[in-house]
Amino acid sequence: MSDKSVSQQDRRRKRALIVFQVLLYSYLLGLFLVQLHMSHERGW
Amino acid sequence: MSTLAQKPPGSFGGYDAHQDHSAQAQKRADKWMIPGTLLMGTGILGIIGFPLFLWGLRLQVNAAKAGLSVRPVIVTLIGYLVIIDSTLNSAGWMMDLVANHTLINRLITAGWGAVFDGGYFWHYNEIWVGGTGAPGEKAWQISLIMVVFCGRMAAGIGLLQMKRWGQQWLIVFCWMGLIVWIGYNLNMTFYGDVRYANITFPVWGWWIYDIFYITPFLAIPYLHTVNREIFSD
Repeated sequence: MSDKSVSQQDRRRKRALIVFQVLLYSYLLGLFLVQLHMSHERGW
Repeated sequence: MSTLAQKPPGSFGGYDAHQDHSAQAQKRADKWMIPGTLLMGTGILGIIGFPLFLWGLRLQVNAAKAGLSVRPVIVTLIGYLVIIDSTLNSAGWMMDLVANHTLINRLITAGWGAVFDGGYFWHYNEIWVGGTGAPGEKAWQISLIMVVFCGRMAAGIGLLQMKRWGQQWLIVFCWMGLIVWIGYNLNMTFYGDVRYANITFPVWGWWIYDIFYITPFLAIPYLHTVNREIFSD
């Protein structure tokens, strides 16, 4: 395998992992918003 | 500085001297960063530990600028970060788990509960093991301290020593954080009436406090794509 294809593979891998992180943090943000909504609904 | 003439016969001269100086510089920096990290891991003494850590980091950066082979800064930051994460969580939870009737715990933990997390205030010290009475919380404490934080601390030490097993195990323990944060937050949401009702800063207070513990996730892309050859077998 050439150096070029390895670095491309690395780039793709890094991009996929960053996309995954964005999804994960979006999920956490979603949970935060759900809790905030519940807080207003239930008068916490 | 050593010279080729000062080295014993059979050594690699300048290369050996460079290696020696690099190891000494790394050790000198770690001598500041280790106590700094341990103090930060206690939470309350973090204000003393933080400047010690920064001083050690400065020594390491200066050594790198002087051309010595020291640890990459990103590895240093990730390694010490996961150790602080593990020690902070373990110290707080161990107090609740085994020292739940002490005066200091009833003051700090239950006081913290009244402000940020009702799980540490509501019916506190009323279940048979003492400490938090929040549903599921004891199970999280025991399993995460024993499985995740102990292992993550060991992996962080291995990473700081630039060992291959340290890098590999830290990947494993950072991914375990996925289970931890998805599960723990769902628990917080489902039992929100226990955790967030009648406290000083409901919901956002807990998130501001805890968001820093979620940061080890950020290490995952680096750990997966770093050149593994920089870590030794």
